[in-house]
Amino acid sequence: MVASRLEKIVNYAILTIFALAVVLPVGWLLLAALSPQANAGVDLTGLRPRNFVDAWVQSDFGRHLLNSLIICLGAVTLTTVASSLAAYGLTVLRAPGSKFLFPLFLAGIMIPLEGILVPLYYQMRSLGLTSSLVGLMIAHTGLGVSFGVFWMRATLLAVPRELVESAELDGAGRMRTLLSIIVPVVRPAIITMVLLMFMWTWNDYFLAFVMINDPEKMPVTVALGSFSTRYTQQLNLMSAAAVLVCVPVLVLYAFFQRQFIQGVLSGALKG
Amino acid sequence: MHGKRRGRFVGWLYILPALLLYGGVVLYPAIQSVNISLYSWDGVSTPTWVGLGNYTDFLSDPELRIAIEHIGVLVVFYAFVPILLGLLSASLLARHARRGYAVYRWVIFLPQVLTSVVVAVLWKQLYGPDGPINTALEAVGLGALTKDWLGDFTWALPALGLVGTWTTLGLCMVLFVSGSAAIPTSLYDAARVDGAGAVREFFAVTLPALRPQIAVALVLTVTGALRTFDLVWLTTRGGPGTSTITPSLLLYVKAFSIGDVGAAAAIGVVMAVVCLLLALVIVRVSEQD
Repeated sequence: MVASRLEKIVNYAILTIFALAVVLPVGWLLLAALSPQANAGVDLTGLRPRNFVDAWVQSDFGRHLLNSLIICLGAVTLTTVASSLAAYGLTVLRAPGSKFLFPLFLAGIMIPLEGILVPLYYQMRSLGLTSSLVGLMIAHTGLGVSFGVFWMRATLLAVPRELVESAELDGAGRMRTLLSIIVPVVRPAIITMVLLMFMWTWNDYFLAFVMINDPEKMPVTVALGSFSTRYTQQLNLMSAAAVLVCVPVLVLYAFFQRQFIQGVLSGALKG
Repeated sequence: MHGKRRGRFVGWLYILPALLLYGGVVLYPAIQSVNISLYSWDGVSTPTWVGLGNYTDFLSDPELRIAIEHIGVLVVFYAFVPILLGLLSASLLARHARRGYAVYRWVIFLPQVLTSVVVAVLWKQLYGPDGPINTALEAVGLGALTKDWLGDFTWALPALGLVGTWTTLGLCMVLFVSGSAAIPTSLYDAARVDGAGAVREFFAVTLPALRPQIAVALVLTVTGALRTFDLVWLTTRGGPGTSTITPSLLLYVKAFSIGDVGAAAAIGVVMAVVCLLLALVIVRVSEQD
């Protein structure tokens, strides 16, 4: 099918309008981050990359970056392992009651954070887990497990039964079968899940904002939130800090576009 | 046979870690939410039983009513506008491989991967009194329209709504474009043979085929509008006055700054019920023929 010239022009015009709606604001943030003026007046003649260094130092970015990395790596690892094991139990091992347990996990995808936040906070506080990286890690894991089980169950159901059976015939134990037969086959699905979980955990603001009151324990998002209310007179540094916060996810997004978009679209029911 | 049965029970050991984490962080607190919502509690002293008192607040508390009305406005911006624009663009995009689409898609989808804090910082500056939006208006001779957008009683809420449109538009468009790429060309050919124009074709072929995608988009965007917190908290804190308050914002304030924990839990319970019903209804409707 050959597209007419008009169709082609219309296509690119639409795509360009939508793209510009994103590029102009984001581009403006970048220029503001490089602005030599405190009011972030865009000045193309005097770009000042040093803003990033100043923003890093003044917002104590290194500390918050480390907090975010610890929370994300911990939560993503725990969620991936726990969800994969559970999905294996629900599908391949056919644990009794799976028909009842799976919908129970699934319900969590639709419960919004607001529905559990108040008691969760008081419960964590009584365990001494507020303002704690471990506490936030556990909270993220518990919230992520629903989606993880949903995702990994669908993935494992697509694994051919014969593959598992032949491993059993070879005398492989359950854990061996999971680790050396199944995991290599479903690696692409695991990678997508890990990327999505990393993005959701890294980007979270509300949960961390409620759970963490100690400034030293704040992840980058909460730190940026409080930085942005303290440095209202230095818009250029605020913009630079904002750019720093989204760099890690943007880098991953640049390399794994397909996984991010497919993951968000197919896992779209997560609330 | 015996060994086989035992083998199946071993499956529970594999499920256990996930179930404990999920139970402790989601299930138990969800039940506790309902429990707390039946008490008047300041978070410190002994709670007093009030029955459904915190729920009748939804009828009597003027702030809560205003917050719910705001959700109506936000749903238009977060859900209806992006879905309509997304459908329009998906139907206009000719159905063949587009060179460079991957690059466009990367850009258009970008707001979905930006953290809400960065979105808030960005738009707060764009809307600022000396921000680029006012500068642009002055440059084209519309200086009379300039204002402190987020400090304006009339304009703050639609301005924040527009940010919602900005963040969900790419999601809707990519969802609908990928959905319409899967529609068999034969359906379009059949419609053409029947003499359908572009508009008829859209309503007869494209729209029905995209029903599952529209359902997903509705669930995501309406839930997003309903749960608006980060953007409002980081830009206006609900102000000026109460002109941008939302249920989530009231939940936060009641639970963690003015010590009306029972009422906060009740807001959370109602939001959870609304989200669950919304997902069930929309998915059910989309599956019907």
